[in-house]
Amino acid sequence: MSTNKIAISTQGLVKRFGEEVLAVNNIDLSIPTNTIYALLGPNGAGKTTTVSMLTTMIEPTSGSAKVSGLDIVLQADKVRQRIGVTFQEIVLDPDLTGRETLDFHARLYSIGKAERLAKIDKLLKLVELDEAANRRTNTYSGGMKRRLELARGLITNPEVLFLDEPTQGLDLQNRANIWEYIRTLKTNTNLTLLLTTHYMEEAEALADRVGIMDHGEIMVEGSPRELIDQMGADNIRIIGQGNPDLFCEAAQTLPFVESVNKSDGIIQIGVDSGNRRLVEIIGTANTSGFEIEDISVSKPSLGDVFLKYTGRQLRDK
Amino acid sequence: MNATILLWQKQMKKALVHPEEIVGMLIQPILWVILFGVGMRSLMGTTSPDSGNDYMTFVVPGIVALTAVSAAIAGGSTWLNERLIGIVKEYLAAPIPRLSILMGNATSIVTKVLIQSIVILIVGLLMGAKLSNNPLGWLGGLLLIAGYGIGFSGFALAVASSTDSSEGYHMMIFLLQLPLLFLSNSLYPLETLPSWMRIGAYANPTTYVVTGLRQITLGPAPTMGTVANIPLWLCFLVAAGFAALGMYMALQAFKKAIK
Repeated sequence: MSTNKIAISTQGLVKRFGEEVLAVNNIDLSIPTNTIYALLGPNGAGKTTTVSMLTTMIEPTSGSAKVSGLDIVLQADKVRQRIGVTFQEIVLDPDLTGRETLDFHARLYSIGKAERLAKIDKLLKLVELDEAANRRTNTYSGGMKRRLELARGLITNPEVLFLDEPTQGLDLQNRANIWEYIRTLKTNTNLTLLLTTHYMEEAEALADRVGIMDHGEIMVEGSPRELIDQMGADNIRIIGQGNPDLFCEAAQTLPFVESVNKSDGIIQIGVDSGNRRLVEIIGTANTSGFEIEDISVSKPSLGDVFLKYTGRQLRDK
Repeated sequence: MNATILLWQKQMKKALVHPEEIVGMLIQPILWVILFGVGMRSLMGTTSPDSGNDYMTFVVPGIVALTAVSAAIAGGSTWLNERLIGIVKEYLAAPIPRLSILMGNATSIVTKVLIQSIVILIVGLLMGAKLSNNPLGWLGGLLLIAGYGIGFSGFALAVASSTDSSEGYHMMIFLLQLPLLFLSNSLYPLETLPSWMRIGAYANPTTYVVTGLRQITLGPAPTMGTVANIPLWLCFLVAAGFAALGMYMALQAFKKAIK
């Protein structure tokens, strides 16, 4: 296939639910093989709907997409053979044990018995569930369930693995563990991973490329570094009273200011060096009649990029 | 086909995990035969000496139909639950035909129905019902029950695919269940029904399955009227048609639900 270097591509992908809900609006993606790509956005941004289309669970309203070079509508069956999926909700049958869960899944993909048994043991070790393998999954903790799902997604040797909110609801330690597995996978195999998340640290820590998604659209795309660098070296966040427009205009004219954004009641000023420029920024605020209530300097994060492009803060809930 | 067997196995294994389900599944038909059958039998027994045993013979197929409907409703409920939890997504993302997912569920329901039917027949015999002397008739009866079970499972799966609420499911199923059972000859002979009800009964697949069972699986029950007014081939045809229609409805509803 000529598209062997591109694992996932979409052209003008649209999904409507009924007349009024436009869940995904005209998305163009091109994700190379062996990349970790994160769709970052708040709940309701259209991330899960995008994943549902790419994993052939639902059909797009218009546009087209290919996964592993195969059309998601016309060759849905073949796509299903080459992908692994973990869903946003924990989707485990409470009546099956961990081992039975993996065995059933492998059999759904017609994997032969010998291969199945070997893989199940290997994967249970990888996600450190070998000791709990014969317990029913309703006795598992949240972290164990997620790890089992990750193992299930991998048992079919997928070319592309979709992880929809892989660490949602997990504590920090479990999240860090899952991140570690995901990184190992990418290094050790030729796997392409598309994950969705509303945790910016997750996207920043894991992804080679990030697409910031809001209202069904990809607002901006790039590597975490590229996205953060365009915010300036340091980020000054200001909350206060008065006319922010006047202050922003004045700040814009300062030679060391790289960007000014005002959204959600927060003014963000990207500067070359935060600590050095703080006094001048405060002075500019005073002369333009803006009373600062809170000011902080930080290295910009993906959260700041998100705020810039969506006008909203990315909150966990 | 493999996927159907796999899903059948999974559902059966899930049932075995819950001994209370198995116990309930076996006791429910016994209670029907003993509480309803024996009660009615005593009532009928007052008219003539034979009619008590005859009613028992007569009502066993009706209780089988009733049990099949209950099992299908429970199966639909399991399906709705799997849909709402999201377990169905695992099947959807897998490279298996949509129909095999439904067939796996329907065949697991029917397996339970067949086990229950055998229990009903045995308890019915103990309570005075007469069985046909021909073992082929017993096998034919199981085929009729299987067709009926798949058909009603299909309807239950279709309803369970069209709603996101457990209350909605049970309400809609209740509307289907009542006429299917009572607008038929499962509990009373066709001849005694007013003509509008008789028309309804002829439009109801339950009537054909129950009639077929009376013709080949059970012994004669002369005081309960004739049963041969519907040809046997038609009984089998209707059971097969009902099974196909049920699965078609389930598949359409399921496909619509995942659009």
